[in-house]
Amino acid sequence: MTTRVEELDGKFVVTFSGELDTAAAAETEKALAPVLENLGKDIVFDCTELEYIASSGLRLLLSVLKKAQAAGAHVVLKNVNDVVKDVLDLTGFVALFDIE
Amino acid sequence: MITLQFDMKKFDSGRITRIGIVIVAAVLVEVISVVQYQRLRNMMGEEVNLRSKVVLGAMVHEIEHMLELTEITLAENKWDIMRHLSNPDSLFPVMTRLIDDNPNVVGGCLAFLPYYYPSKGRLFEPYAHKLADGTIVTEQLASPEHDYTQNQEFIWAMEHLIPFWTDPYLYGTDSLSYATYSAPIYDSEGRLAAWCGLDIDLSWLGDTLNTHQPFHSSFGLLLTIEGNLVAGPSPAQIPREEVFEVVDIVNGRLSASDFPGLVIRKTQLDKEPYWQLIQVHKTEEIYRRMTQMRHQHILFMLLGLAILAFMINRYARNERKLREASAEQARIGGELEVARDIQQQMLPKVFPSYIYGTLEPALEVGGDLYDFYIRDGKLFFCIGDVSGKGVPSAMLMSMIHSLFRVVSRKEENPSQILWTLNNQLCAGDDNNMFVTCFVGCLDLYTGKLNYANAGHDKPFLLTTSASILPVKANLPLGVYPMTEFELQSMTLSPGTTLFLYTDGLTEAKNKEHKALGRERVQQVLDACLAKGTDTPEDLVGALSAEAHSFAGGSSQSDDLTLLCIRYQPGDNLRKQITLGNNTEEVAALSDFVKDFLGQIEMERRVAAGLRLALEETVVNVMNYAYPAGEHGEVTVYADSNYKEVRFTVVDAGFPFDPTAVLSADTTLDVQNRPIGGLGIHLTRKMVDSISYSRKHGFNVLTLTKSIS
Repeated sequence: MTTRVEELDGKFVVTFSGELDTAAAAETEKALAPVLENLGKDIVFDCTELEYIASSGLRLLLSVLKKAQAAGAHVVLKNVNDVVKDVLDLTGFVALFDIE
Repeated sequence: MITLQFDMKKFDSGRITRIGIVIVAAVLVEVISVVQYQRLRNMMGEEVNLRSKVVLGAMVHEIEHMLELTEITLAENKWDIMRHLSNPDSLFPVMTRLIDDNPNVVGGCLAFLPYYYPSKGRLFEPYAHKLADGTIVTEQLASPEHDYTQNQEFIWAMEHLIPFWTDPYLYGTDSLSYATYSAPIYDSEGRLAAWCGLDIDLSWLGDTLNTHQPFHSSFGLLLTIEGNLVAGPSPAQIPREEVFEVVDIVNGRLSASDFPGLVIRKTQLDKEPYWQLIQVHKTEEIYRRMTQMRHQHILFMLLGLAILAFMINRYARNERKLREASAEQARIGGELEVARDIQQQMLPKVFPSYIYGTLEPALEVGGDLYDFYIRDGKLFFCIGDVSGKGVPSAMLMSMIHSLFRVVSRKEENPSQILWTLNNQLCAGDDNNMFVTCFVGCLDLYTGKLNYANAGHDKPFLLTTSASILPVKANLPLGVYPMTEFELQSMTLSPGTTLFLYTDGLTEAKNKEHKALGRERVQQVLDACLAKGTDTPEDLVGALSAEAHSFAGGSSQSDDLTLLCIRYQPGDNLRKQITLGNNTEEVAALSDFVKDFLGQIEMERRVAAGLRLALEETVVNVMNYAYPAGEHGEVTVYADSNYKEVRFTVVDAGFPFDPTAVLSADTTLDVQNRPIGGLGIHLTRKMVDSISYSRKHGFNVLTLTKSIS
């Protein structure tokens, strides 16, 4: 699992690659530190290469969402595959995130 | 303080009780002894009285008889004297004849009244007496110096004119004592002529009185009616002073109560001269035997009490030791109970339908072991028996068990596994304990069984009937380092069953000490096959029951371990993994589950859902089942018949039933969404069924999902 954070056009673009299971969650959380330190900017999670997500991954996304929304920023999930989509559906996360 | 403690220790209640028992026993025995002694004393007193009465009665009879004989002698010879009165000198032979007539009479005289024979002068007293040699001599006794008319007796006789006995007296220098019977002699004209006196020797009386005494120190006395001593024991026998003491007591001059050592019995002649016969006994002698007995009695009693005290003490000490020992035993028992639990925990808990095993230790802890687990589609199993029983064996067993687990993780050749176990054991064991062990590795896909043996009993192979698996015996583990354990192999056809056991089964003893034997085991296995009750659980149950019923009431002498494995490939796929309670190990879980599910054809999304369900469940266990900071494990058994996938998650943590938890509310908005609580919700959504049970201290959660 790798997490790449870039700043493009005043937005954070976070690219996930691999499987965001519980073991990968801690590492991913660390990688997201720059995003959380600069709240206020919109955030795009590029999930094109995200193959799998567990609840620990969802919690990570939720905590980012809570903080970003509180700071007036917008969070988008891009290109989620069917597996990840199932999880978002089942947890009601589809209603919380903007999914493109 | 020290003194106080010492005293308290010395006078603890147990000791007081013990002393009390001894004292009560002493008092009881003494009271019995005293009562008995008094009774015996009274009986003895009565006995003495009786004997005295008998002896005294006999003596009285004898003396009276003697006196009567003397009186008769005189009476019978009176006529002869009267006939010869006319010739005074003829009276000498008359008197000689008279005293010759009666052996008791030693002398006889005729004391004529003064001037009876004018020719003989004023006094005339013809006298005859026996000499020591028995010859009889006569003489005329009267002389101016010997004027019998002045005699008290003569005067008394002249006043009373009746026959009488004189008091005994000593005569001459022979120190013999005599008594004289006197009777008046009348002449033909009826005039009183003389007094005839017959002297009897009383000196023999003393001897007679003292010959037949009931006790050695007893003696007899003869006293006159006035209390003068007539006859008694010789001074050699009893000192004179003692004799006179008794005389004085009888006469009232001394008080009997001042002489408690003397028992004095008295009787009296029924007739003239009413002499008194006295018998004296010394209590010292009468009761000497009794006193001796009493002393012996006291001695025995003291001895008995000493033994009693000793025994009570010993008993108390033994009892205390026993108490201490049983307390110690209870403590050890408690620890053994814990050890037993630990040991039982090490054994497999969850059995797939094709494996069943049991271990019944003979003691609290056993020296047997068995284990199995599946790794990479292969079933690793072992069964072993440590020499000996009890704690040392159990410790070695635990060591072997752990070694087997560790070694077989990285090595799937049973021969190599045994080789490593053996070398480890030889390096570590200085106690010359050895272990028989059979290790097998069964490929669940192909049925290929690799196995190696280290001196263990050959397992049975069950197809249509039971036979013995061809096994090389080899040496047990722990005998020589670097021993080779030959690898053997065979391919099992589906439905084949392996039945492994320790010698607790074949060596089970009945009351006659006969062993159950391998033949009987084979018969029972065959019978099970014939009946169709041949699942591993059935077979283990049947053989366990057989061993117990065979032993009857006899206590189990050895650990009994049975392990039964059926090769049942069917369509089933099985895998298992054990992880620590650390979420970093989820990576291993992910590999495991992807690998497992990858062997089964299914939709990618279904597989991902199953993986998610399992991960959420396992993570939940890792995070919450064990106290924070404490190591714990979670084992996942995955199996599938290609139509359905089943995950069984087992942990030894806090009892927790996730199925009882409410689903998370997925409709809340962002700010109200709790961070946690999604895991169980997702699991529920991803599988068809979740069931939870708590077994043997384990949480067992089973997830099932149909994939058709």
